[in-house]
Amino acid sequence: MAEVSRRQLFAGAAGLTVAGSLAAACGGKSTSSGTTPGQAAGKPKRGGNFRLGVTGGGSKDLFDGQNIITKPDQARLVSAFETLLLFDDNYQLTTNGLAESYTQDNPKQYTIHLRQGVEFQNGKTMTADDVIYSLQRIATKANGLTGFAATATIDVAGIKKLDKYTVRIPLKTPDATIPQTLASYTFCVVPVGYQAYPHGPQIGTGAYKLKSFTPGQQSVSVRNPNYWRTGEPHFDQITIIDFNDSTAQVNALLGGQIDAMTDLPASQVKVLQSRNMHALISKTGGWLPLCMAIDIPPFDDVRVRQAMRLIVDRPLIIEQVLSGYGFTGNDLYAPFDPGFDHALPQRTQNISEAKSLLKSAGHSKLAFDLHTTNGAAGMVELATVFQTQAQAAGVTVNVHNDPNYYGNQYLKLGFSVDFWGTRSYLNQVQQGSLPNSPYNETHWPPKHGKGSNFESLYSQALAETDIGKRIEIEHEMQALEYELGGYIIPFFNDLIDGYADNVRGLRPSKGTLNLDSFGHGYRTIWFG
Amino acid sequence: MNPMTDADIAEAGISSAPPPSTRASSLLRRSLRLGRTRLGLILVSLLVLLAIIGPYLAPYGPSTPVGAPNSVPGGKALLGTDYLGQDVLSRLLYGGGSILVMAVIATALGMIVGAAIGLLAAYSRNVLDDVLMRGMDVIMAFPQIMLALVAVAIIGAHSWVIVTAIALTTAPRIARVARGAAQPVVERDFIACSEAMGVPRWQILATELLPNTLGPLMVEASLRVTYSIGVIAALAYLGLAPDPNGANWGTMIQENQIALVVQPWGVVAPIIAIALLTMGTGLIGDGIARTAAGIDRARGGE
Amino acid sequence: MNRLRSGGVPRFIVRRLLLGLLVLILVSFVVFAATQALPGDPARAILGRSATPASLAALRKVLHLDRPVIDQYLTWIAGLLHGNLGSSLAAQEPVTKLLAPKLVNSAVLVLISAVVSIPLSIAIGSWAALKREKIFDTVSSNLLLVLAALPEFVVGVVLVILFATTVFNVLPGVSQIPPGSRPWNDLSGLVLPVLTLVVAVAPYVARIMRASMIEVLESDYVEMARLKGLPERTVLVRHALPNALGPVFQVIALNLAYLAGGIVVVEYVFNYTGIGSALQDAVINHDLPVVQALAMLIAALYVALNLLADVGTIVVTPRLRTRL
Repeated sequence: MAEVSRRQLFAGAAGLTVAGSLAAACGGKSTSSGTTPGQAAGKPKRGGNFRLGVTGGGSKDLFDGQNIITKPDQARLVSAFETLLLFDDNYQLTTNGLAESYTQDNPKQYTIHLRQGVEFQNGKTMTADDVIYSLQRIATKANGLTGFAATATIDVAGIKKLDKYTVRIPLKTPDATIPQTLASYTFCVVPVGYQAYPHGPQIGTGAYKLKSFTPGQQSVSVRNPNYWRTGEPHFDQITIIDFNDSTAQVNALLGGQIDAMTDLPASQVKVLQSRNMHALISKTGGWLPLCMAIDIPPFDDVRVRQAMRLIVDRPLIIEQVLSGYGFTGNDLYAPFDPGFDHALPQRTQNISEAKSLLKSAGHSKLAFDLHTTNGAAGMVELATVFQTQAQAAGVTVNVHNDPNYYGNQYLKLGFSVDFWGTRSYLNQVQQGSLPNSPYNETHWPPKHGKGSNFESLYSQALAETDIGKRIEIEHEMQALEYELGGYIIPFFNDLIDGYADNVRGLRPSKGTLNLDSFGHGYRTIWFG
Repeated sequence: MNPMTDADIAEAGISSAPPPSTRASSLLRRSLRLGRTRLGLILVSLLVLLAIIGPYLAPYGPSTPVGAPNSVPGGKALLGTDYLGQDVLSRLLYGGGSILVMAVIATALGMIVGAAIGLLAAYSRNVLDDVLMRGMDVIMAFPQIMLALVAVAIIGAHSWVIVTAIALTTAPRIARVARGAAQPVVERDFIACSEAMGVPRWQILATELLPNTLGPLMVEASLRVTYSIGVIAALAYLGLAPDPNGANWGTMIQENQIALVVQPWGVVAPIIAIALLTMGTGLIGDGIARTAAGIDRARGGE
Repeated sequence: MNRLRSGGVPRFIVRRLLLGLLVLILVSFVVFAATQALPGDPARAILGRSATPASLAALRKVLHLDRPVIDQYLTWIAGLLHGNLGSSLAAQEPVTKLLAPKLVNSAVLVLISAVVSIPLSIAIGSWAALKREKIFDTVSSNLLLVLAALPEFVVGVVLVILFATTVFNVLPGVSQIPPGSRPWNDLSGLVLPVLTLVVAVAPYVARIMRASMIEVLESDYVEMARLKGLPERTVLVRHALPNALGPVFQVIALNLAYLAGGIVVVEYVFNYTGIGSALQDAVINHDLPVVQALAMLIAALYVALNLLADVGTIVVTPRLRTRL
């Protein structure tokens, strides 16, 4: 099957944590040059049915304010539900969400002040009770929600309602990443008693209320007349349609059957432009790693891992796999995090050194399996291109494209391909680089010797309130991963989406979600 | 793409054409007199040749990047590049072997198993016949491609899975033809003679029944090869090929169809190749069928 | 020949019916056993990457995957007979609700294709037989041979190239049907898929029609009618055609069956919302109830079509009844 994206991308954060209600204006790089024309101009107009085409879904589509599996799930979640805190287009933390402000009273306690007068789509006012219910729902292991792992440091039983609009969140251990967690797009506020479709009415605070939903086919949502942001939203209705593959999606966009689509294949950018349509190109921190398990031979020998990292020709991979839509990676993640260590030298292809490393490890003629799947655009292509490049170093790679990859214990494989979205460094570590992380493909950190202190470094970083000192700890962690880690990260891929000429308000964004976070929950876009 | 044959009609007890019954070699030779058989043979030989020596003729390896992805013909790439920047022409030359080999092996396996079952069923004429043919019906209760699709999607896209699935679904159809062709022969005197002489069953099947049913079997075989090629290519098109980036005509169509508007050759070239190959095998089969029908007509029918 | 016992047509029908039922029962065993033997775990297959231990346990509980196998089989069979096909593991909705609209869509596609292809192929086949060895016959035969050999998806992709994307831009290359709407709400989306299926099926029917028509035209029976001095048209219509229809009847039924098989690929090419795509989705998600339901559905369809074909042919072809 063609590009089927079925996986969730977690929200990450690149902002800093500060006690206060303003985001630190970190002068990060401005968002990518997209091909957004001068469309930002013009006053928003009311009306219309916005039709979005998304791939990756199927009969297992969800409608849950706090859970997603596939991209259509993401597209639907943001239409009806909102979080306490928000990221802006530069991936900076803001208090533009359901929380008016928050404070970190001490390393182990946060207090959230809610925005007053916000109503759910059924007219009920949002209060602290709803927030507490929402957090508890995520933190209940039996619910199996994606955000569960992120609640590990929260003392859930101790969450207290101070008054109608104030919530106190105590922590079990210090954790400076709580604000980023609260800005993760699956950490939405749901009303007390809320249950996912089809077990209850789908009521959130978002701009559109669900009207009808057929999993695997489409959902229709109508404008929420009581939405708390004045002047928004603009469409009367939004329809989110599942597609099986990109070809169908593109044809539908070109034929006017949909107004926008996610994950436009790179080859179609010019086609769209020739038909007076547009591609939204966002430079994101999304990445497709080749993952080597550091405890499975032959990758348990660090020389083999280092050799593999030297085999990849990164610019060529970007050309072949992404058609140029991406920027070079250096085997480290979270490129937008202020703690990202830019000082580490950029790796480039070095076949002769790779060969000598392999030889010294006793593996002059190496052969192994590489497993991949169509989980996200580029995963299979990356594997096949790596296979070709590895031949130069005398390494034989057998690529297995497994349609049931994620169902078949992919976390137990020696060598595999996976995908991630933009995240902050510590958030990513917690999701994929700790012994009890839910998605630790590389089985990092090592149990003995150099690097075995990685987890304690992480705990220290979480607890560290001084930004400068925290960055130092993060650099130390990254140095270990750079030298000994199991990831080969050749690039960070752009997110490319397509839209029709009359759609206004879209801007490139560094975030995890496509289409400028789906037009910020379909609020900041309109038909012009 | 439809493998329905006269034999299916024969099974139900109605004949639309008398079953041919000639020695295999002479049938083949005579069918070569027909223009269409010759054309078919030429096409097939050309493509088989392409599949065999293609890799040696290819200007680049199948996975060597020669330019920006999806570029039109020019410069290094005579037919342009594909979705990964690889040379379409080279991949075309590398891309026929696996399909052909798998199709031939699968059909051969299906032929052997199917013919054995069909002949045995015809000869037994009793409960065994019923049992065998009902078993065949169970397999035939599913379209061939659906069964292959389910098997491959579950077990994985390994060559042996594809070959087995196709052989498994080919066998019943061959069995039907074999049985249909053998039944009139079974009632002949010379069979009864051999039985009376105590000739072992398997020998009767092999030396007396089989040669007399080879005619329709050969027609069916060519039809089956055509269809197998189609199924294997279709499976590759659906994303279920043994090697994800192996140059494979079916896979090429699927990989490159998204860029169809920009660079059509990545799709058009393998389509032409598959079309020519299946046309060739179809022509050969039709030539044999016509010859056999003609021979029988000349003989005055069965 | 087939060992049809004496007793005539009704007995023949009953026997075929019983055999068909037997086949279906055997098929149900095979289908159930096969889906139970799926490697991997449905809960994992559905959740994919978000399969944390917590979410797996939660899903497994919801899906009742812990009951014994025999139990599941018997419940399933009982349910089938009552029209209850179980609940989809992935969508957690009744299978019937999930599949019904898709079944309708696929059925519409198949029926429209059949309605177009059958008269077309009968006409072409008959005309070619009447004018055999002349120009029309030679040209059409070869063309039909070529078309019959092509795999369906090749035909489909070529049609897309010709009419939807590269050469002309007049028809949609995609035929998705939003829920709640029906295929006939957007007829232009049906044109290419129907055309693909017609090209896949018609050549065969035409060739069979031609062959059977030739046999009839050269039969003693028709010769007799001619010798009697009847006008050619009467000979054709009153004497030749009825006898040529028998095999065609069978062939039509079988072709409906093959159309059903062809829709898997054709629906994929055109993104048509039918049971072909439902099957693919279900297999990948290890959605056992849906796979089982679809398999039984297809098998039942095939058996029924086979039965109809056999019976219909016997009824239409008088001379065969004597063999009963």
